Amino acid sequence: MSEEQDIEGLRILLIEDEVVIAMTAEDMLEEIGCTVTAQASTFNEAMAQATTTDFDLALLDINLNGVMSLPVAQRLRDNGKPFIFTTGYGNVGLDKDFSDIVVVTKPYTLRSLSNAIRSATGDAASR
Amino acid sequence: MPEFRALLSYDSEMAQRIRSHDWAATPLGPPRDWPQSLRSALSICLNSSFPIAVYWGPDLRLLYNDAWSSIPGPRHPTALGKPAHEAWPDIWHIIEPQLQAVLTTGRGFVTRDQMLPMQRYGAREETYWDYSFTPIAGEDGSVAGIFNEGQDITTRVLVERRNRVMLALSDQLRALDTPGEVLSSALEIAGAHLGTERLLFGDVQPEDLTLRIDGCWAGKSMAPIAGTIPLSYFGKDALEALRRGESYAIADVETDPRVNDRLLRDHFAKTETRSFLLAPIVRNGACVSVLVGQHDAPFHWTVHDHSLFRSIAARLGRELQRARASMALRESERRHRLIFEQARDIIFTADLDQRITAVNPAAAAAIGLPAEEIIGRSISEFTPGAEFEKTSAMLRQKLIEGGMTRYEVTVCTADGRLREWDVNSALTIDADGHPIGLHAVVRDVTEQRAFDERQQLLINELNHRVKNTLALVQGLALQSFKNGRTVAEGQDVFQARLAMLAAGHDLLTREKWEGANIASLVADATAPHADPPGRITASGDPIFLSPQAAISLGMAIHELGTNAAKYGALSRPEGRVAINWALTNDRDFAFLWHETCGPPVSVPVREGFGIRMIERALSSDLNGKVSINFAPDGIVCRITATLPEAS
Repeated sequence: MSEEQDIEGLRILLIEDEVVIAMTAEDMLEEIGCTVTAQASTFNEAMAQATTTDFDLALLDINLNGVMSLPVAQRLRDNGKPFIFTTGYGNVGLDKDFSDIVVVTKPYTLRSLSNAIRSATGDAASR
Repeated sequence: MPEFRALLSYDSEMAQRIRSHDWAATPLGPPRDWPQSLRSALSICLNSSFPIAVYWGPDLRLLYNDAWSSIPGPRHPTALGKPAHEAWPDIWHIIEPQLQAVLTTGRGFVTRDQMLPMQRYGAREETYWDYSFTPIAGEDGSVAGIFNEGQDITTRVLVERRNRVMLALSDQLRALDTPGEVLSSALEIAGAHLGTERLLFGDVQPEDLTLRIDGCWAGKSMAPIAGTIPLSYFGKDALEALRRGESYAIADVETDPRVNDRLLRDHFAKTETRSFLLAPIVRNGACVSVLVGQHDAPFHWTVHDHSLFRSIAARLGRELQRARASMALRESERRHRLIFEQARDIIFTADLDQRITAVNPAAAAAIGLPAEEIIGRSISEFTPGAEFEKTSAMLRQKLIEGGMTRYEVTVCTADGRLREWDVNSALTIDADGHPIGLHAVVRDVTEQRAFDERQQLLINELNHRVKNTLALVQGLALQSFKNGRTVAEGQDVFQARLAMLAAGHDLLTREKWEGANIASLVADATAPHADPPGRITASGDPIFLSPQAAISLGMAIHELGTNAAKYGALSRPEGRVAINWALTNDRDFAFLWHETCGPPVSVPVREGFGIRMIERALSSDLNGKVSINFAPDGIVCRITATLPEAS
């Protein structure tokens, strides 16, 4: 299998409060072969989507309009869903409980995004 | 006269001297002719071991026994057989009237504590006496002689005087607190009791060995003096004696070889000094102060004088030291009290049970209670539970390890506000080294901590926003160069969007990032299309949006404007855009963008980025709904949104 094929067809839950960034991420995800099947831009939406939506991987913005999204991360973990953090903070502010989670810092590139997704789903597969 | 011969054969010194004296040359004549009355009196005199003298004859010739012989000092034995006025020229002015009274009245005279200023060893000396003059009747019944019994009570008088002076000093000096009062009072007391003409007291200046006169008491005959006197002026061996702690006296500066120097004589003449005594105060092997007694006439300083001056000097030295220490202590206490009272820092003390024992005004103000309502209460009353455990732990640490502790603790003021205190505290130790309490200096760092916290938040937030903005710019770039646009077209679109983003930030910066009102957003976002004037009309209620919502709405209006300029009403001079917004209730508002007089509108095949963004941004950031109606006579965009609850 080629690298692209690893993540080809993955269904993504995109949790991002900034519209333009969400749209960009959507475009980039499509470009690497993934499909955004659900989106959330607020904490409450994210909590709801994390449980109800059918997806393979979540991109989770750590800060949703000023609210830390760690409970969403906990819910994703409880449901056995792989996810990666996206953040403008760099690595600061990350909870040590989630120190094993891959972080993509904004602004992200196609490569950093695909590497992170591959690493997160690979980890999930090996678990 | 066998009896008399027997009498005179009595084996005493004076009996022998009387026997061998040439009485024939005196008015008394040879002893064999002496009347019975004289013989009887002389018999009693010579047989008595009390000091007894007999004055006989018209000029009161002096006869005395062994016990009396020490009384006239060096005048013994030549005083024997002398007329009274020759034997006692120095005290004649005192005893002559007493003797005369006995002779004329025939009645005895007795006196106690009589001071007789005798000239005994070349200098005047105060002596004190109990004595009597008793008339002796001669053969004819008239007073032929005077029987004199006398006791030198100088020692007793001097001891009593010493006791009085020392008692007065100890009574009166103890109550005085300043060195100046102690010194002047001590000199006053000593001057009143001693009979010395002038008293000086001063500190030795070690650098030039002079005596700086700090206090002077002068009697009637001498004038007070001030200034400094070189110690060498007191004689060449004076300084050595003083250093050994010994007193030092010169009875007569005009005859004493120790001060036989022109310079010194000039000094003594100028200061009317004829006789002096020095008593030192020695501390750590150095003579630090000197008490000086002076007379303007030769004066014999007795052992008593030396001893008394030394005692007075020592007492004065101790009292001065005490007064200086007490003054220094008061001064130090005053300074500390001042610091305590005026410090802007909070200062308090507590006992080992953490019961507050003192607070300064800054502490009282910080707590919000008068000092007296704080004192006596436990620190726990001003610290919420866990915080009191912190102060207790710090106290334990100090008790175990000593030293100071520095920590921050949350304190609850009288009106219930929580304040963050930066506490620097140490144990208070008593003279035996036992801890008896603690004292603390405190700075209220509540504002500082809030500021620090806020600054950290701001730094984090800034970082987040910059990163987010960069991501936003990235998104705008990617979107602008898509959709089959040429590079030049893409650049125009991208620059226009960046300009809108920058304008949004400017607006928010003007509003200190607290948000922006819709009117300003609209004005900024439509500014590129405002010309010619009147094409765009905008009005609505004053509505204030959060930063995020403001940026979104601003971007949306920008996209609507760009779209209109390209394809819609603003692509023609006659085209118009009406923008209206209004609160529909407390928190909901409606925003309407209405284009008219533009070219015919057709529904686009594919929604452009602008429209997509408007729909999504507003639905996410304003919890709003967007409907865009591509009506043939002009696009109508209706936005309904809900403002977040006021925090």
